[in-house]
Amino acid sequence: MRRYWLCAFTLFASASWADLPSDPLGSPLWAYNIERYLGQDITLVVDERVGLSVPDFAEDSTQVPLAVNLREFPHKVMKVVTWVDMNPVPHLFTANSTDGQLKLVSLNFRVQQASSVRAAVLDEQGVWHIDSGYVDAAGGGCTAPREVLSNSDWESEFGTLKTGLFSDRGNTRIKASLLHPMDSGMVGNVPAFFVGAVEVRNEASDNLLLTMTLAESAAENPMFVFEFEGGIPLLSIHMKDNNGYQFEGAIGEASP
Amino acid sequence: MSRLRSHHRNIAWLVAAMFWLLAYSSGAGASTKSYNLEAILVADGVWVVAGSTENFSKTNGGNILNTGFIETGEGVVVIDTGPSRRYGEEFRALIESHTSEPIVKVLITHHHPDHAFGSQAFEPNTLYMLDESASLLEQDGEAFSDNMYRMIGDWMRGTEVTVPMNRVQPGLLSLGSRQLRLIAMQGHTGADLVVLDEASGVLFASDMVFFNRALTTPQTPGLAVWRSEIRELAQLPFSLVVPGHGPVIQDDRAFLQMIDYLTWLDDVLAGSAARGLSASEVIDTAIPERFSELEGARYELVRTVSHLYADYEKRALNRH
Repeated sequence: MRRYWLCAFTLFASASWADLPSDPLGSPLWAYNIERYLGQDITLVVDERVGLSVPDFAEDSTQVPLAVNLREFPHKVMKVVTWVDMNPVPHLFTANSTDGQLKLVSLNFRVQQASSVRAAVLDEQGVWHIDSGYVDAAGGGCTAPREVLSNSDWESEFGTLKTGLFSDRGNTRIKASLLHPMDSGMVGNVPAFFVGAVEVRNEASDNLLLTMTLAESAAENPMFVFEFEGGIPLLSIHMKDNNGYQFEGAIGEASP
Repeated sequence: MSRLRSHHRNIAWLVAAMFWLLAYSSGAGASTKSYNLEAILVADGVWVVAGSTENFSKTNGGNILNTGFIETGEGVVVIDTGPSRRYGEEFRALIESHTSEPIVKVLITHHHPDHAFGSQAFEPNTLYMLDESASLLEQDGEAFSDNMYRMIGDWMRGTEVTVPMNRVQPGLLSLGSRQLRLIAMQGHTGADLVVLDEASGVLFASDMVFFNRALTTPQTPGLAVWRSEIRELAQLPFSLVVPGHGPVIQDDRAFLQMIDYLTWLDDVLAGSAARGLSASEVIDTAIPERFSELEGARYELVRTVSHLYADYEKRALNRH
């Protein structure tokens, strides 16, 4: 019975989004979330070179690693959008690569139940490239109480920013870890309190390298990893949460 | 009105029939499930019940660990009770088929479900555990139980978290003809009991030692702590090592494999953090050929990265 229903849904879906390639994972939310996050009337191709990487299973439903490794991607990267289909709010992040030089972006997410995960990349010609992964999970990650609550000194640790600069095969990689509860607003009596915007600049030229917006699927205490093409000796990162707190730091030279 | 009543009666019959069918079919299913446990005599009066090196599944019912029992002349000492009530019951029947001595002490080596969830089958006043392990079982037991039901399903039927009422202290336990050396360690879960039978030299290392099976790290206080305790174990006067998971072995190969693997894991995590790798990249690290005999190595690496890598990462960053 459920299968018939699914078939009916798929028929309906494919009729209204006739131009989309079929979903390699067969999720009923494929077309719906693509339209929701990428828009209507788009050109979309399934492309493994987007390099989405997620584990087969979530060992910890509140911290599931995700990376989009674009080293094999042959086009300029204008935008990266990621989402977790079955989460209450699927969106994880949208990263705008202002000069198209983004080579890797990584951020942990929460998972509410076993789900397909998507990364879509917009190239310089306006074509979206999408890659998919599937994470099995016991679930509950989106509505689990935050871990820092059980840590009595979390207020003194709140906002601690740690960063590092790394070079790899001629590229520049930065890492930034922020202690922040990232409350999604989905846990009873805990209002939304999360970092919504991140910016990375080249400090020498003051060029904006990346802007990123985060959504409810992002995990507590985020660890950001970004890699950019070429050598950049000094960068800065800036984050802002929905309560007006700002966190920033310069990254470079003195770092390991 | 009477039509309505007869309608109700029909529904009642239908529901009764459904329950009967359900009870009958699941009852029939349950009767075919058995762990088929066998006890192997590894030394005079010392028995091991060996499980597979697989991961939990609905096929193996969680029989993936080694348990054991020792006859002392004044009663049997049991080491661990298995993953489910059903395992515990079969294990107890197996013990009673091999010896007429009563079961006087059941030592639960640590709080992990595969070792502690068969305890219901034994008399409550015979169950013993380290104090810290009991607290951990109290704290994590229900979550473990949920996960076990998810992983092995019907094998768990009737299993309830049972925290032993007695505590065990490290030191010598004299019972009948036996001197059992009880050693408290921390490497695997923070509170791990190891039992050495001094007469035979059989060392029940429990999950401090995995052999030809990748070790698991959800509660380890640190890989370096674990490694240094393995070095201590290797100094004991043992004749046979019974690992928590994997085949029994007469020499120090299990210790050497543990030290090698723990060192490699520590190096991978530290080296990856120093290079700025993301967790996703570390999960894909190539596993050296020499660990090809370790069952579940890739699966456990994914888990270990989830448990431990964030701390390695933070240590490799600078604070602002």
